[in-house]
Amino acid sequence: MERIQIAPGVHLSCEPAEKFNRCRVSIHFLIPADRRTATAHALLPLVLERGYADCPDMTQLTKKLARLYGADLTVDARPMGCSHNLCVSVTGIKDRFALAGEQLAREYASLALGAAFHPYLKDGAFDPEAVEIEKQMLRQALEDELNDKRLYCTRQAAREFFRDSPAAIRQEGYLDEVEGLTPKDLMEAYQEMLRTASIELMVLGCTPEQTAAVKDALLAELAQVRRAPAAPAGFMAMPRQAPLRRTETFDLVQAKLCMVFTLGERMEIGQLPAFRLALALYGGSATSRLFLNVREKMHLCYYCSSSFQSFTGSMMVNSGVEHADAARAEEAILQELADLCDGPITDDELEDCRRGILSAMRGVEDTLGGIENWYYGEILRGGPVQTPAQARAALEAVTKEDVRQVLRRFSLSVCYRLTREEDADV
Amino acid sequence: MSEKRSALSAIERCAADQWRTLPSGLTVLVRPMPGYSCTHVIAATRFGSIDRNFRLGDRECSLPAGVAHFLEHKMFEDEDGDAFAKFARTGANANAFTSFDRTCYLFTATQQVDESLDVLLGMIAHPYFTAETIAKEQGIIGQEIKMYDDSPDWRLITGLFECMYHQHPIRSDIAGSCESIAGITPEMLYDCCRAFYAPGNMVLAAAGNITMEQVLAACGRSGLDRPCPALPPRRLVLEEPMTLARPEQTLKMAVSKPCFGIGFKEIPLEPGDLRTEALYDLVCDCVCGGMSPLYRRLYDEGLVNPGFGGEVLRVDGCCCFLFTGESDAPERVRELLCAEIGRIRAEGVDREVFTLCKNEKYGQLIENLENVEDSASQMADFALAGQTVAQQIAMLSGLTAEDADRALQTILRPERMAFVRILPDGSHPIEEMEEEE
Repeated sequence: MERIQIAPGVHLSCEPAEKFNRCRVSIHFLIPADRRTATAHALLPLVLERGYADCPDMTQLTKKLARLYGADLTVDARPMGCSHNLCVSVTGIKDRFALAGEQLAREYASLALGAAFHPYLKDGAFDPEAVEIEKQMLRQALEDELNDKRLYCTRQAAREFFRDSPAAIRQEGYLDEVEGLTPKDLMEAYQEMLRTASIELMVLGCTPEQTAAVKDALLAELAQVRRAPAAPAGFMAMPRQAPLRRTETFDLVQAKLCMVFTLGERMEIGQLPAFRLALALYGGSATSRLFLNVREKMHLCYYCSSSFQSFTGSMMVNSGVEHADAARAEEAILQELADLCDGPITDDELEDCRRGILSAMRGVEDTLGGIENWYYGEILRGGPVQTPAQARAALEAVTKEDVRQVLRRFSLSVCYRLTREEDADV
Repeated sequence: MSEKRSALSAIERCAADQWRTLPSGLTVLVRPMPGYSCTHVIAATRFGSIDRNFRLGDRECSLPAGVAHFLEHKMFEDEDGDAFAKFARTGANANAFTSFDRTCYLFTATQQVDESLDVLLGMIAHPYFTAETIAKEQGIIGQEIKMYDDSPDWRLITGLFECMYHQHPIRSDIAGSCESIAGITPEMLYDCCRAFYAPGNMVLAAAGNITMEQVLAACGRSGLDRPCPALPPRRLVLEEPMTLARPEQTLKMAVSKPCFGIGFKEIPLEPGDLRTEALYDLVCDCVCGGMSPLYRRLYDEGLVNPGFGGEVLRVDGCCCFLFTGESDAPERVRELLCAEIGRIRAEGVDREVFTLCKNEKYGQLIENLENVEDSASQMADFALAGQTVAQQIAMLSGLTAEDADRALQTILRPERMAFVRILPDGSHPIEEMEEEE
C-alpha cells in the first residue's frame, strides 16, 4: 500500500490489487467524538446513503447501482476510541467484466464523491422529507437494540465502563434527541465534518490513471471547503476502579455476561504484538483458555471470548451462560486470567495461538476489505504503518513473559449481566 | 458484442475450476487462485436437519430432531483427541455448520495445507463416539439451542415452518431441542455416518493457493482414491399436503417492537432444478427488493426498516417464500404485500427491474469468484446440485421476464400464505446496582 499526503489532513492510500475482480474507492472522515453532535452524526450516514444531488431518489439510486452490476455504496459510521469515523465507500466489478464496455471505475469514483460532497439539499439544508424518514429509521434502530441481547449487553457494559469519557459518546446516537433534529442541525454537523475531519482516500484495485483522477477530483472538492483539520485523538485508557456490577432482568432463555477490563494507562504501540498473542491465548481463539476451559471443560457457556481495543486500552469478555451459572462463569473467567498471569503457559498452547494469528495475518491481503481494514487501522494507531509481513515478524518475537506482562496490567472494571428476574440475585 | 465476449472470457478464466469424481465416488473441485495466500477447503455432505427418515440396507431409520447438527459437533473428536487441536498445530482456522440439507466442514489455511487436508479428511473418515462424549456434547448443544431460542429472527422462521408444514421435518429446529437430542446414541450416529458420510454422498471443494494434484494426493493418503462399496441411503419422504398446518400464530418475546413473518408454501421443486429457484429469487426481488415500488412505499411510510426482505428456501420436499421484518403494523404490511403480488400477477413484472435484478446477480457471481471462501462455497453448493458456475451464469442469462410472469400465475397464492407475529412480552428491564468496595 502506498500512502502520500495530498493536502493538510488529507492522505491518499492506494494499492493496485490486481488479483481481485472488484475495485473499491473509500473516503474516510475521522472526527473527534462530540456529545453535542453525536445524534446528528448517527443520522448523517442514513441520509447520505439514500441519494445525492445527481441522483436524489433512493429507488433511482438503487437502480443506478444495479446498472453497475450490483455495485455497493455504503456510508458507514463506527466509533474509534475517542473519535468517530464516517466512511463513504463504493465497491464494484472491474471494467474488464463490464458486458457493454462501461467505464465502471470512473462511475464508482463519481458516486463516492457525489455521496460524500454533493448531498441532495433543499434551501441550503438536507431534504426535510428524507431527514424525517431517516429519523424514523434511526429511532427504530435505537429501539431495536434490545432485540439482540448479546449486542445490548456489550453496549450497556461499555456505557458503564466509559462513563463520562469521550469514548462513551454513542456513535449510534441518543434516542431522546432524534425527534428534535432538524435538516439544519444535520447540515451544520455535516459541514463541520467536512471542515475538521482527517480524510483518508483509499483506492484499491484501480489503475494509476484512475487513481490519479479520483485524487484530483477529491482535491477539487476540498478546494471548496474552508478546511481546519482537528488533531486526531490518540490512545486513552480508563482509570482503574472497584468493579461495578450491574444486572438487568428480561425474560430470557440464556443469560448474557459481559466483563470489561482496563489497562489503567494508555497502550504503548510497541506492545501491540504482545497484546495480540495474549488475547488469542486468553479468549480470542479456538485454542484459548476461555474456549477450552470455560466452555469445553467446565461447560459454563456456549460462547465465551475476549476482544481488545487498542484505542481505549480495554478488554471485553463476552459470554452466553445458564442463568444459574453466571456467578460461576464470572469466577472462572477471572481465574483463567489469573492463571495466565501467574501460572504456567505451555509451549504448545502459545505456539498454537501464534500460528493461528500468523496465518490470519498472511490472509489479510486476500480480500479488499482485509487490506483496507488493516492499513486504515495502522494509520489510525499512528506511528509507522506496518505491513502484515512486518507485524508477523514482530509477533514471532513475543515471549511468554511478554504475554504475562501485558495480561497482568488488566483489572476488572465492569461486570454486566442480563438474566431472568428470579436469577438476578444468584 | 466484442465487449461482451471479452467480459465473458474474463469470467471464464477466473471461474475455471477443475472437477474430478474419484473411484470412491467423492466429487473433488479445485479452483487455483494465483496470487492468493489463503486456501479454503470445504467437505460437504448431503445430510442436513431434514434427513430424519431413511432406509439403510434393509433397516428403516428414524432420527430425533437435531442429529445432523449433533453429529457435526462430534465429528471433531476422535480417539486421540480433538480435531481443533490438530488444526491448531497447522495454524488452520477450522469450523463447520449444519443447514437443513447439508453439513459442511471447512478450514482456511496459509501454510501446512496438506497437513490440514489430512486432518479434515481423517476426521470425516474415522468417526468416534461414546456414550460419555455424547453426554458431554448434550450440555454444550443445549446451550446453543437456548441461545437461538432468544433470537426473534430464528423464532420467526421456525414459526413459519410450523404454520406451513404438517409433517415435513423442516418444522424442527436444525439443532433440535434439549429433549430430542437427549435420545441420541452412538449407534444412531454411526448409522448416519454409514448412510451419509460415504464418499459418494460428499463433495470436496478447495479454492486459493492450492492445486488439484495436492488435493488428489491428500485423497490418496486417506484412501479416497479407491472404490468404496457403499449402500446409498434411501430417503423416506413423508406425505405433505399443499394445505397449511395453520394459517397464523402469535408469539411473545422480550423484543422492543413487533416482528413478523409471511410465508407462502409452494410446490416442491425437482432435485437439481436450479433454474426455477433462480427465477423465484428474481421474482422475490421484483416484489419487495430495493428497486420495487412496494419496498419504497413501506419504507417511506415507516412500516418497515432496511431489515425487511424476502427469500426463497428450497430443500427436498419443501419450497417456500419467506418475507420477514419488524413493524408496528404487521397486518398492514401483509395487506400491502398481498396487494402488490396481485398487481404484479395481473400486470406482469417490471421489465426494467427484472433486467436490473439479473445484472445484480451477475455482479454477485463475479464477486464470489474473487474470495477464497466464497469461491469454495459456491463450487460446493453448485456441485451438490450437480452444476458448475459457468452453467449457472448461462442459466441466469436465459431467464426472462415472461418466465417470471408465467411463474407468478401459480406461486405466492394467498390461500397458501402463513403469518407469524412476535409481540413484545411487556417485560421491562429492571436494573440493580452494587458497587464493590
